Amino acid sequence: MSKLELQAVSKAFKAGKVLDRISLALEEGEIVAVFGHSGSGKTLLLRLIAGVEQPDEGRILLGGRDVTDDAPETRGVGMAFQNFALFPHMSAFDNVASALTARNAPGDVIRAKVEKVAALLKIGHVLGHAPRELSNGQKQRTALARALVAEPQILLLDDPLRNVDAKLRYEMRLELPSLLKASGSAVLYVTQDYKEAMALGDRIAVLSDREFTQIAKPAEIYGKPATISVASLFGDPTINLIPVAPLASPGETKIGVGGASVSLPPGFARLAGKSCVLGLRAEHIAVEDKASPDSFPVEVVAVTPLNEKTLLLLRTGDGREILASEAGTSEAPRRHGPAFARFDPRTVLLFDSDSGRRIAPQAA
Amino acid sequence: MSEVALSIKSVDKIYQRRGKAPVHAVKSLDMDVARGEIVALLGSSGCGKTSTLRMIAGFEEVTRGDIVVEGRRVNQMPPARRKVAMAFEGYSLYPPLTVRDNIAFALKSARMGSREVEKSVQEIARLLDIEPILDRYPSSISGGQQQRASLARALVRQADLYLLDEPMGQLEPQLRAILRGRLKNLLVDRRMTSIFVTHDQTEANALADRVAVMEAGVLQQFAGQKDLRERPANLFVATFVGEPPMNVFESRVMNGDRVRFAIDDGPTLDFGNADIPPKVRAAIGDREKVVIGVRPHAVRLGAGAGEARVVSNQWLGDQSHLAMEVAGKLMVAVSHAPIPATAGERVRFGVLPADLHVFDAATSAALSHGLEAA
Repeated sequence: MSKLELQAVSKAFKAGKVLDRISLALEEGEIVAVFGHSGSGKTLLLRLIAGVEQPDEGRILLGGRDVTDDAPETRGVGMAFQNFALFPHMSAFDNVASALTARNAPGDVIRAKVEKVAALLKIGHVLGHAPRELSNGQKQRTALARALVAEPQILLLDDPLRNVDAKLRYEMRLELPSLLKASGSAVLYVTQDYKEAMALGDRIAVLSDREFTQIAKPAEIYGKPATISVASLFGDPTINLIPVAPLASPGETKIGVGGASVSLPPGFARLAGKSCVLGLRAEHIAVEDKASPDSFPVEVVAVTPLNEKTLLLLRTGDGREILASEAGTSEAPRRHGPAFARFDPRTVLLFDSDSGRRIAPQAA
Repeated sequence: MSEVALSIKSVDKIYQRRGKAPVHAVKSLDMDVARGEIVALLGSSGCGKTSTLRMIAGFEEVTRGDIVVEGRRVNQMPPARRKVAMAFEGYSLYPPLTVRDNIAFALKSARMGSREVEKSVQEIARLLDIEPILDRYPSSISGGQQQRASLARALVRQADLYLLDEPMGQLEPQLRAILRGRLKNLLVDRRMTSIFVTHDQTEANALADRVAVMEAGVLQQFAGQKDLRERPANLFVATFVGEPPMNVFESRVMNGDRVRFAIDDGPTLDFGNADIPPKVRAAIGDREKVVIGVRPHAVRLGAGAGEARVVSNQWLGDQSHLAMEVAGKLMVAVSHAPIPATAGERVRFGVLPADLHVFDAATSAALSHGLEAA
């Protein structure tokens, strides 16, 4: 039985529909990252689940029970709704315990539970401290402890690392999955940082255009994005998108890129004559000094190092700009001028120009 | 250097505040920038980078020392006479003029012919992707567009120096990588001597020939990104530059028959005599405590003296980040290929002598980088 199930949930405001027939099931101990731009309806989704907002249509099930019409406090299943802010006038202990005291638990039970979760999060030694005496990392963990202490079956986290500096955000990104897993809660984690979504989510639900465009494991979202928009949301630099018109030639299908004719792998014959968009990740383009059969001439316009990678801005013969990246760092940061680019046709993604949907190769 | 475009000589900036202690924002700064060079001032807020840029521009007085632009001492010169072009926060677009007229303003004042003005404006607008908003007014465009318009207004001018404040700060990620490339191409192509302030090391590394890393008013290191990565001058630079940052551990060192680094509450890295060159051993000397560091990309997994529990292993599409628990902290290894390990499992790791950085535990100054003394 799913811990949380959304069945075709819709919600509109005066300005129009924000969520349109959203469905998702969350299993025990699973972390699902809800990823989308600001304004895509991510927070609204959490508010609907918490019961602060009512859906116009659709059902919400918690632990198999339909709670759509229940008030937030009677939804019956432990749930925490968190943005990682602490009460400044309370000690770390009281901050964590505040999630329990509201439920009239006895003092020694509270103490035992707080200490247990504090040990898990390695903040046992600072429970007596006020928030201002805690390091930023300890603050984040204290807030997480408060969310976890009541052992919620479902934890809703609303972009909890948004206002955290880059270094700590990175550390938390590494630590959070194991901390959340240890709690056993099913977690819905809202973020607008694609790396955070990939790092934390067992699955990612991409929210765009009022619906989940794709719900899949991180590697699949990156490698087989359902649409052009999903492809461009994941990846740094953003994926190169090039309009192409596949042509049938004897025994194969070809596309023209930057003046070169590149053979597509088998399975794309049905695309001949259609207008498509080619998606090409920067790391799949190799830049070489010499021409080879599948390469096309480019001008290296700029070389910009990027964290153990080097980005090359290329201009193709037909004036298009594309980005290639090389692992490692270039020894010649100003290597400009003519070169040749090449990509493995097996790495290409093809999308339908009209619908924006990815076209999978057909099995022979 | 015969072609020095900008020379900053022993410059201090002290802000006097009524009823409060003065703030020493920039401390004896020395820096030469060659003609055509692109330099980034990198640091977190309050490090002195913006004060430095504003002194060069002439918006702040120099408390001590000299600023020399193309041989002219400019300390007392008003901003407009310094032959510098600026794109600054607070140095905003003229509200009553369209974006086009804002960009053209300085060119017209310099009596450039109208056809040439139009051509220059079009060129820079195309480069920065603001052609569609040329006839709009500043109040009707987004913050990111205002930033690009202000950048265009500076870059279109003829100047001895270009001073840019967070030039790409507000850009959408989709545009950023391409615009950075175009901007770099323009600066390199036209040999525009440029100094820009940023808190974003990605931007600094992408655009600059050399990066000046500042902290607490002091220039920590002024070097190309390769040197910052491979030869950081001290622990601050080592852990500030690089994403993710360098793994560092306090450790006891035994510099005898073998060289051993015993990480406090962690494993011991043990190197044979032949592995660590004499000059590195000499640099370490008879210290008992040092800080050792290794870049995440240089951590070797699967073999080596260390063993640790995997905290997480995250694939981001084009790289893997593996976090291990070492000495009560996280040690991160990064690889461009997926790493076969799961959370909870124990893995072996090692550090090659060529990848090891050693720092003085007290002063935090670098002692050695790989097989070389610092």
